[in-house]
Amino acid sequence: MKQRSWIAVGLLSLAALLTLAPFVWLFCASLKTNEHFFGSTLLPLREQGLGIDWSKLSFENYRRLFQELDFARALANSVFLSSVTGLLATFCCAAGGYALARFHFRGRGLVTACVLGAMLVPAPLLLAPGYQLLHSIGLLDSLAGLVIPAIAPAFGIFLFRQASLSSVPVELLEAARIDGCSEFRTFTIVALPLIRPMIGTFLMMTFLGVWNNFITPQVVLQSPERFPLSVAVAQFRGVYYQDYGLQMAGTVIGVIPVLILFLALQREFVSGLTSGALKG
Amino acid sequence: MFATRATPDRDGSPISSGVWILIVLALVSSAALAFWPSGRRDSRTMWLFAKPHQDTYTPIIDEWNRLRDPDIETILLGRAALDRRLLSSFLSGTPAADLIEAERQNAARAFTGSLDAVGFVDLTDRIDAEGIRSRINPPSFAPWMSRGRIFGLPHDVHPVMLGYRADVFEAARIDVDSIRTWDDFERVLRPLMDTNGDGEPDRYLLNLWETSTDHIEVLLLQAGGGFFDDAGRVIIDSPINARVLARIVAWCQGPRRIAADAPNFTASGNQLKAEGFVLSSFFPDWMCDVWKHELPQLAGKIKLMPLPAWDEGERRTSVWGGTMLGIPRSAVKSPEDFEELWSFAKHLYLSKDLATDLYRSSGIVTPVVEFWSDPVFDEPDAYFASQPKGRMYIGLAPQVPARTSSPYNTLALSRVQDALVQLSEETRRTRQYDEARLRERASHYLKRAHDMVAAQIERNVFLSSAGGVP
Amino acid sequence: MMGPAASSRLAPWLFLSPFLVIFVVFTLYPLARSVVLATHQTFGPEHEQYVGARNFAAMIADPLFWTALRNTFVFALASVFIQLPISLGLALLIERRGTPARPLWRILLFSPALVGVVFAAMIFGIILEKRTGLLNVMLHNLTAGAWNLDFAWTQQYVMSALIVASHWMFVGFNMIYFVAALQNVRRDLAEAAVIDGAGSIDRFRHVTLPAIRPVAGFVVLTSIIGSFQLFELPYLMLNQTAGPDNRGLTIVMYLYQVGFEVGDLGYASAIGWGLAVVLVVCTVVQRLLARREEAAV
Repeated sequence: MKQRSWIAVGLLSLAALLTLAPFVWLFCASLKTNEHFFGSTLLPLREQGLGIDWSKLSFENYRRLFQELDFARALANSVFLSSVTGLLATFCCAAGGYALARFHFRGRGLVTACVLGAMLVPAPLLLAPGYQLLHSIGLLDSLAGLVIPAIAPAFGIFLFRQASLSSVPVELLEAARIDGCSEFRTFTIVALPLIRPMIGTFLMMTFLGVWNNFITPQVVLQSPERFPLSVAVAQFRGVYYQDYGLQMAGTVIGVIPVLILFLALQREFVSGLTSGALKG
Repeated sequence: MFATRATPDRDGSPISSGVWILIVLALVSSAALAFWPSGRRDSRTMWLFAKPHQDTYTPIIDEWNRLRDPDIETILLGRAALDRRLLSSFLSGTPAADLIEAERQNAARAFTGSLDAVGFVDLTDRIDAEGIRSRINPPSFAPWMSRGRIFGLPHDVHPVMLGYRADVFEAARIDVDSIRTWDDFERVLRPLMDTNGDGEPDRYLLNLWETSTDHIEVLLLQAGGGFFDDAGRVIIDSPINARVLARIVAWCQGPRRIAADAPNFTASGNQLKAEGFVLSSFFPDWMCDVWKHELPQLAGKIKLMPLPAWDEGERRTSVWGGTMLGIPRSAVKSPEDFEELWSFAKHLYLSKDLATDLYRSSGIVTPVVEFWSDPVFDEPDAYFASQPKGRMYIGLAPQVPARTSSPYNTLALSRVQDALVQLSEETRRTRQYDEARLRERASHYLKRAHDMVAAQIERNVFLSSAGGVP
Repeated sequence: MMGPAASSRLAPWLFLSPFLVIFVVFTLYPLARSVVLATHQTFGPEHEQYVGARNFAAMIADPLFWTALRNTFVFALASVFIQLPISLGLALLIERRGTPARPLWRILLFSPALVGVVFAAMIFGIILEKRTGLLNVMLHNLTAGAWNLDFAWTQQYVMSALIVASHWMFVGFNMIYFVAALQNVRRDLAEAAVIDGAGSIDRFRHVTLPAIRPVAGFVVLTSIIGSFQLFELPYLMLNQTAGPDNRGLTIVMYLYQVGFEVGDLGYASAIGWGLAVVLVVCTVVQRLLARREEAAV
């Protein structure tokens, strides 16, 4: 038994090594200038003796990103798109899902069917007509054209409907109403705290999804000053194809903030992540 | 789930720390975007896709801006991004720059519809009236001409030579003047491939591979092949194309193999070039500067020679790439707009300063014939073992083949590329390297490519009804 | 529950209004439009001409569409039959009794799921580069220079390179679902005390497997749906092309090329419907299989 444990730990260590190697490599690569880029696998070593040759490493790539290439703007765009979409979508989906779970009204069955139906529509199918629609309502090449269509995804309504069904007791709502709370207050004061785990999860999921989304901004946006990081970094391969260090520094900026945010919020994030699968 | 036991704290507030963090991020980023200094002054913008071009233009544009208003501001875009924005602007009216420096592929997008639907201003009458046509090397207009009209000022000629490892060739006492055809090339140089005498090749003569699309077009155009005739009809299944494809396959595998893959613009390809794993590469004029930057260690070891011909006495150069400066219709709201942009375009592209600067900084030979006599082109180039490479390129410029302006060229090239890969794979399986058989199989695959491209063009009922396929 | 106040009748509609508006404008309407578009030849969003079923006929006859479908299918198979077993294996290793530091392993292995596909494509594009890439440097050293693979530009390796990169991203992600299922198992087991005399293989077959089956069904389905929407990874790893001989062409990439690089939104919509049909078929097949299995158990 003990020996088997060691095998398990060994296998897990191998998996962890394979998982982490690209991260480590990425970070090391972003510190290297082009001429030393392929001189070493990870960090450049001293010619003599042991240790790392620090003189070949620098934050030059990062300086160039922010000073020459207006990367701060792409970062701001990404933060704006992800956080605003995340907050709006969470609020709209929480309200919608709650309404679907805890109100009886005519047409509820139809709306639920719409939610389930919309979840089955593959996003790429809507790419072409969506582009045409944004063009005709004048939202092409605008950040609003990315945020507005994303504020009430059917998937979110479904998740919050499930969460409300399982964790918002009808009696509490009735009690609040008897106390004279308006429906909106009942929702914010009574229901929201009860579905709090799902709020954290969905917020992070949406944030991540928007941050990492490529195809939609690539199609909708045209002006470089509106590009989020994903599109801006992808462009690097075209313009600075030889500048590997610069490309990797841009990639680090695209990866690290969400890693940090996730680590800080992981408790809130993961609790609801798998609930769809376990209950579904 | 990651923490051993996550107990949600029950303080009753739905606003957890995560929500707070995101609210702060949303506010901060909104404020940042709202107050972001808009770089847009009241200036004219110019899109371009090549960093070296931007660097070369900067002094000329700065000088122009010092003397005149409004300023010209350059914006560098990736090639794919330029392509997408150009298409989006032509089709959907999203904003475009006032001047656009476009690559062949990008510009061809504009020629899909009828002549009056082309997104660039028709410059033909002004070019003729101001005598510009006779000043420029004729093949340079071809990619920007559709149905006899010219939509851009040509930037270049882009003749292609072969760059070879002079150190290796000279050590083996090879006289490159004796290499006049590709057959000569194979015969004379083959002994260089085996360095240790074990009968196995240790390095290869030519940097070429079945997957390097650019090289395929270079060889096809040199041989007189191509994808569209002057009337725009598909001619992909021509015998010339089959011959070239068959030869490329023979060069990349089997007993006649002389080629290996050292992909351009990658660190790995550069390493193989530096190691001498491939002894020669295709050199359009602009490639000279790329090598100087990426392979400084080869200075003095590279020399240029005209491409070996497909048949004795035939064309010894080709063409690779091409750029133009065009004025999108959307930028011209009044005749004054056009005059202003046109005078800048001429100032930039037809200036002698640019011709010499561009050659010095990027190795690019101007298409303006009258500047060819400038002594700058006779300067010996230390990187190329003191050859006067400018003069050599200019000598080949009149022979440069015409490039098509068909919007379907990219599509055709992809399908021909597929045909070549399919032919290569089949040959790897069958190991039948006989030239006649290879040509016959090449014809077979080219026919398929031909039909696919023709079907795509045929299917385009909208475009044909709107004024015809060029 | 039905309150007498009018506010109670209006409230659900107010709460649902953002969804309803967005649903009608950005899902229902484009969905209807895509039917219309699919029967038109278009050049950009402004020029259209009715062509009936020609787009669909052209799609059926289009070898590239079938190439894209085949590539996507291969990728989906790899996701289900290689990636998910790895995910399950790792989950079992982490959740087995005696494994120390479980939360640490979970988070380590999960972390790539946070990386966007674009960024992963950037990393792997360079890691897999010929000769100088990390993987080739290691192969080169291990095999004394005998192996040197050009992953992105050799037709046979394109799909393997894509699969390697996607496994890095998604193995840990899917693992989390299995971990959640196994945690439920552990709880059940604890409640049922220890099963006497059951070997670990028996325990796996009779206790663990039935417990994770519903989750497995869910993960298989989401993996298939995700695989069929593959686009960014090959598009960026192959420098915005479909790779040699279109070996990296996927359905969504083809849709993107046709719609946004050529400008034919009509044909792109037809391809979108082709994708939708494939996904519906996959979903139905998976449901049927799952039902049969449940009946068999």
